Amino acid sequence: MDTLLSVVVNAFTPVHLGMVLAGVVIGLIIGSMPGLSSNLGIALMLPLTFGMDPVSALILLVSLYTAAIYGGSFSAILLHTPGTSASAATAIDGFALTRKGEFNKAIRISTFASVFGGLLSAIALLAIAPPLSLLSLKFGPAEYFWLAVFGISVIGTLASGNMIKGLVSGAVGVAISTVGLDLDSGYPRFAFGFYDLQGGIGFVPAVIGLFSLSQALLMCEKPHNTIQEADPTGGGKWRLLPTWAEFKFIHPTLWRSSIIGIVIGILPGAGGDIGSWTAYNEAKRFAKNDPDFGKGSIRGVAASESANNATTGGAIIPLLTLGIPGSPSAAILLGALVLHGMQPGRTLFTEHAHFTYTVCVGFLIANLVMGFVGMAMCRYMGVVARLPNTILIIAVIVLSIVGSYSLGNNIYDVYTMMAFGILGYLMRKSGFSAAPMVLGMILGPLAEQGFRQAVQLADGPVLLHMVANPISWVLVALIVLSIGSAAYLEFSRSKLTDVMAER
Amino acid sequence: MTFMKRFHVTVAAAAALSALALASSAGVDQARAEFPDKNLTLIVPYGAGGGTDIGARLLAKDLDPLIKQPVIVQNITGGGGWTGWGTLATAKPDGYTLGLLNAPSFYMGYLDPKLGRKERLESFTPLINHVIDYVVVTVVPGSPYKSVKDLVEAAKAKPGSISITAHGVGGDEHLAIMQLERMTGAKFKVVHNKATPESKSQVLGNHVQVLACNLSEIVTEVKDNQLRVLGVMSPAKSRFLPTSPTFKEQGYDIEASVSRGIAGPAGLPKDVEAKLVAWLDKVVTSKEHQDKADSLFLELRSIKGDAYRKFLKDNEQTVKDLMGW
Repeated sequence: MDTLLSVVVNAFTPVHLGMVLAGVVIGLIIGSMPGLSSNLGIALMLPLTFGMDPVSALILLVSLYTAAIYGGSFSAILLHTPGTSASAATAIDGFALTRKGEFNKAIRISTFASVFGGLLSAIALLAIAPPLSLLSLKFGPAEYFWLAVFGISVIGTLASGNMIKGLVSGAVGVAISTVGLDLDSGYPRFAFGFYDLQGGIGFVPAVIGLFSLSQALLMCEKPHNTIQEADPTGGGKWRLLPTWAEFKFIHPTLWRSSIIGIVIGILPGAGGDIGSWTAYNEAKRFAKNDPDFGKGSIRGVAASESANNATTGGAIIPLLTLGIPGSPSAAILLGALVLHGMQPGRTLFTEHAHFTYTVCVGFLIANLVMGFVGMAMCRYMGVVARLPNTILIIAVIVLSIVGSYSLGNNIYDVYTMMAFGILGYLMRKSGFSAAPMVLGMILGPLAEQGFRQAVQLADGPVLLHMVANPISWVLVALIVLSIGSAAYLEFSRSKLTDVMAER
Repeated sequence: MTFMKRFHVTVAAAAALSALALASSAGVDQARAEFPDKNLTLIVPYGAGGGTDIGARLLAKDLDPLIKQPVIVQNITGGGGWTGWGTLATAKPDGYTLGLLNAPSFYMGYLDPKLGRKERLESFTPLINHVIDYVVVTVVPGSPYKSVKDLVEAAKAKPGSISITAHGVGGDEHLAIMQLERMTGAKFKVVHNKATPESKSQVLGNHVQVLACNLSEIVTEVKDNQLRVLGVMSPAKSRFLPTSPTFKEQGYDIEASVSRGIAGPAGLPKDVEAKLVAWLDKVVTSKEHQDKADSLFLELRSIKGDAYRKFLKDNEQTVKDLMGW
């Protein structure tokens, strides 16, 4: 109890609170700029922390991490330009709300959800990190394969209304993800002799193209319009917290998405992108009675944003307990931890428990602070939605180019972004959704690697190896349920239209 | 036309005059501009925050005060590192653009005919080796294998049944496993992952039996008794794991490592090269730099100039032999 008290007192010292604030502000700025990711932010701040004490340094970096993930939602909601790829799913419903003039509503839901997900993950981190971290070890190649298949199984329902177009888009996404040097054989796949393609097609530039540039091209069609198409109705005014009705509407989504986010965060190699999309899928599945879903439902915003912030605390759990980072950003945090003389593992919770828990409490405070700072920053941001498209088109194109170039100072990433921008524009004009494609690009490699490794590791029949673990059983059951329910829904819907047609 | 001509003449005259003025002001203490008189760029061919990047930033930070010019780290990513190395090879050889060279990762791009890069080792001027990180083979404490011999015997008894991690064809772990296979006739089941954390969780979770990775990545786990070392592929015992045996001590003469050094494009002026090597050596061998590397469990190894070139050439030959390229 004494330790707890001293930890809390330590976390609330002016220096540490200052670090929280600095991390949050830098994170929000970096996060809201497309292309500048949380990874980059942490990596750039890392050398600046060398002179600090370990607690201040880590508090600064974890605050930056969670704030950057949240900051990505601003531009996603306002301009359909996700600031980080973890906020791409937010753009779907968030931007639809902005068009209806309800930017302020979308942003307060996004803020509330981000804080909710972040806080829940911080509590998980503080309370049950050691047992939870074991989850990351239970997932072997077979389990990863089933997890990816489960994610892919929702593609059909993700494309609003048109299952065939959704499946095509998803399959193209999976195909795109196979481009590049194959890890197992060293063969360059679909590179056609281009050096740049040997490294694969960059995920982040592709997402910037599909969401941001395609949006700019769409706006070119109506240069004198504004994003906001209607005058604000109920949700137009700025409010710090959601209304009671809004909260009641989203709270089951918040819990579900945050738990999904924490679990995905714990798994190594899967971060905010996979977390937000998986939660968005699940919310969609539970949103049968919500006709607005995908077209401006606050549940869509809440699902994606609570999940991507929940992955931050989740990703730190195996980092601290096992030294296995749960996301790419956490991998950089691992470097920071080690550079400051803190070795991940048991000693962090015994010998250095004071350090560890102070950082965790700092992380918790950061999740609260970012909500207030974010809402203050957004207070007048809605004005942008009433600016003429001509101005915004230029801004979005500039941000898209700068963002994709700054990823790796590589002009090839800009070309990738442009190609996907044009593809995204054509897709949106012809009723194809970009979401399944992005999902395919994320989950394709996960499924492929899981499958190939499982086949390799199987002693005896492959199928038996694939279902040797109870986690696999659960995942397989979920897949069957997912495909079954989608098929049933489609069947009853077509019957319904038959009946309607008869009348 | 005459106006334009006159304009040109004026500009040329002005330029010549100002150049003269500059030269004379600089000429007070030296004949020509001393290298370096502007900032240096250090190309990191991988993303920000990775092992290469952290090492490069530590180096840049310590090099900075020594040369009294800023050293700017630039991450140029893509193409498995070759976008960055390609940029380095074609940069102006004036000493202002340097980059990190990762061996054996960078051999594959030009040695493997499937990839067909035109650059060669000779496209670079190797300056100094910075870090060397040996391959280490570990298992979980409950594993039946107590030594390299146990592992090899088991792999010979049932070829292809023992799973071991690696990180890509032609990577250091893969080359190390191939060396062991060639030496003993054993056969392993090599499971490739993108990065060590994934491999670590597969081994700790008992999905894969043996973890092959670099020493700096598992020191903590070994001290925590989560992993047990079978052998380190270094010439002598590592000071980070002083009780862990090497492969050599167990009768398997294998050395395998990943090394990172600094290089410039081919054709650096000799005097610039000499200056850079001297400065870099001073940083790499300094106590302060050593302490930072120690906290990352990284072994610094200064191999300078021609010796570094030879070191890389020898490594290249090993890769060629093993991969059949």
